[in-house]
Amino acid sequence: MIDSLVVVPDADAIGLPAPVWFLKTLLNVTFILHIIPMNFALGGGFIAAVSHFIGRKTGHAHHLMLSRSLSRMLPIAIAFTITLGVAPLLFLQVLYGQYFYTSSILLAWPWLTVIVLLILSYYGFYLYSFRWESLADRQLRVVLTSAILFAVIGFIFSNNMVLMLTPERWMSVYQESPHGVYLDLKDPMLFPRFLHFLVGSFAIAGLLVLIIGMGKLKSEPDYGLWAIRHGIRWFLFPTLLQLGVGTWFLRSIRHDVMLQFMGGDQAATAYLVVGLSFVMITIVLMFLALNSDRPKGLAYAGICTTAVVLVMMSLMRDFVRDAYLKPYFDASEFSVQPQTAVVTLFLALLVISLGVVAWMVRKAWLATHPAQ
Amino acid sequence: MNFPIWDVPLMGGGLLIGFVSILHVFVAHFAIGGGLFLVLTEHKAYRENDMRILEYVKLHSLFFLLVTIVFGAITGVGIWFTISVVSPSATSALIHTFVFAWAIEWVFFFVEVTAAFIYYYTWGKLDRATHLVVGWIYFISGWLSLFVINGILCFMLTPGEWLHTASFWDAFFNPTFWPSLVMRTVVALALAGLYALLTASMIKTDEVRANLVKYSTRWLFPAFFILPIAGIWYNIALPPLAREISMGGAPAVTVFAGLTILLSVLIFVFAYFYPYRQPAKFPAPAAAMFLLLGLMVTGVTEWVREAVRKPYIIYDYMYSNSILVAHKNDYYAEGILKSAKWVTVKEVTEANLHEAGATLFRLQCQSCHTLHGYNGIALMVKGWDEEFIDHQLDNLDQLKGFMPPFMGSVDERHALARWLAGLNRRGAVSIELTEPPARPAAAAEEIEHDR
Repeated sequence: MIDSLVVVPDADAIGLPAPVWFLKTLLNVTFILHIIPMNFALGGGFIAAVSHFIGRKTGHAHHLMLSRSLSRMLPIAIAFTITLGVAPLLFLQVLYGQYFYTSSILLAWPWLTVIVLLILSYYGFYLYSFRWESLADRQLRVVLTSAILFAVIGFIFSNNMVLMLTPERWMSVYQESPHGVYLDLKDPMLFPRFLHFLVGSFAIAGLLVLIIGMGKLKSEPDYGLWAIRHGIRWFLFPTLLQLGVGTWFLRSIRHDVMLQFMGGDQAATAYLVVGLSFVMITIVLMFLALNSDRPKGLAYAGICTTAVVLVMMSLMRDFVRDAYLKPYFDASEFSVQPQTAVVTLFLALLVISLGVVAWMVRKAWLATHPAQ
Repeated sequence: MNFPIWDVPLMGGGLLIGFVSILHVFVAHFAIGGGLFLVLTEHKAYRENDMRILEYVKLHSLFFLLVTIVFGAITGVGIWFTISVVSPSATSALIHTFVFAWAIEWVFFFVEVTAAFIYYYTWGKLDRATHLVVGWIYFISGWLSLFVINGILCFMLTPGEWLHTASFWDAFFNPTFWPSLVMRTVVALALAGLYALLTASMIKTDEVRANLVKYSTRWLFPAFFILPIAGIWYNIALPPLAREISMGGAPAVTVFAGLTILLSVLIFVFAYFYPYRQPAKFPAPAAAMFLLLGLMVTGVTEWVREAVRKPYIIYDYMYSNSILVAHKNDYYAEGILKSAKWVTVKEVTEANLHEAGATLFRLQCQSCHTLHGYNGIALMVKGWDEEFIDHQLDNLDQLKGFMPPFMGSVDERHALARWLAGLNRRGAVSIELTEPPARPAAAAEEIEHDR
């Protein structure tokens, strides 16, 4: 399977500080936590731009109110995308460093451009939020630029995550140029994978719109109900589109890996089947909510079933990674030198910190929502 | 060696790391000291019952949020991105040793970011006491994240007992941990003062401006008294070679170390006579100048700290070129090409001499040297003949204490010397190692031609 031109770095001489299953769990859990605000920021930026555009063209007040609500959320969503993104990046490096570093080096300049794009896009969203009035008719340009930059970041990430899975291409890429100017456009998985994420982000950000609507139900019932329904539409249309995009993505996965999802591997097939079933359940729930006068309960249920979908998709993503790397990656080869005390300290501090954060958020919520 | 080496012409990867990390360090220290500044200045406003001070703190907290949470946080990620493509082996070693220290830092970072947002967004909405508590939570979690990252940073220069025990705690609480923590803490306070001078000097009301300019300047003084003592303490904890490099062993480093002290003294003296003694007359452009000086000190100091670590990237464990110290002797007999990944030349022959030389340069030298740019090798070997270069390579670590030895077989050393000697003869040379197959033949011709 491995021919002589395939070069893969050796795993680090220093052992893992915890068992593989533990690190992998942390990787997947923190990844799921990361993609929630990431989807809010990515899809939310575009939804804000679209609402802004429609609101200005038609004078529809609710659209303008929605873009204003989103403008306040976007900087916070990005902040937590970054903060919660640090953890999966850590655990990715410790488990898959030899693949991830190599692909990052081959893509070095585009990869480092992420930092510049992120700073620009982030400041753009702040501008959109804090200078809402004084930006006047430049608002739309600002938010759209930021949203596009954020999508470009996603595209570069997709590039790296795909290239790290295909060591058989590395040496020829490196031989072409050692300057790290490569952009991986040839992989059949790249575009469907990126599109899958992008379209998915519209749907998840639709849930953010829905949540905004639920928050406004009491204070501004008309706008609240409108935003709930509008959010559901934003969820439904991309999700229906996803049936096509997702299928394209699945078909673009290396054939032998794809077959694992089609019964070849029990766990993989289960992830797919459970994931798709919950997508269907969510679609039905959301359709019902759309046509209901009291959509809150149905919408909550839809959010919960979507969470299950996200978990399944992340597990599938993890499975694809391991299946692609199977010829080069054997987790049992890692030596483990457990740092039990440090891991315990980490978990303890995590629990304490979550308590502190919950306390602060509660205080802030009560102070900013005195009526409730 | 293990990872492909990213070739950054003219600038070199090291300079890129320096650029990103200096900007980050300059903002990250502000993120810590500035947190304390916010909360203590809020206390001051309540104590003096002066709502104008409170207005200032509110505005300053927006400035703080935009600088630290955006620029500070993203450049922090930026350092990671950069080191992992420039020095993947060292990054991997650090990650494997410290992944849970970083995970703990991440926990503090998470609290810090949440607290920063709540602090800013709840001005006038939260009651005073709770708002202050949020401010304190911000500062404490921020400082704790410094506590953690400080251990990892110091480890690279002074891994101490870890080299023998491989214990996490030895790695973390290493010989320079405490002096460095003290230094970074007072620097964080001083930077909080410097940044605050900028915003305070823009206050419209004379009385408030004078009050806050003077108050901000005070934040610089702890550093003035404590830095010299902590600096000596830090210096004592350094490995002897590192101390020598900073104190005469390598002139450029010594000059820069001197510059750090000189610039710092300048800042403190000016701060005392200008904003502290005449706070009402202190204008914003002068504050901007101070900030620029602060950035320069940060830059120079971080540069020195990096430079004294040579010839290692992790002291006594990994050389600057990512070769493990433990593997050093393996390469003398066997050669390094044979076991190196990402190279097409596996052995030196007459036919591939040129390509082998270029490959060896990439493997052993390119982590610090570019060809014609920063630390450019072509100029350094100008006028040297092949024999002299070979002699230099043979005694590299003896002749230049801040360089690793050449680690390879005699044939490989000759090939590198030949290639280096040819650099200035052939004029502009680029290291295209891996052109299509026609290349080896072309290289052989070139060598023939050279003769």
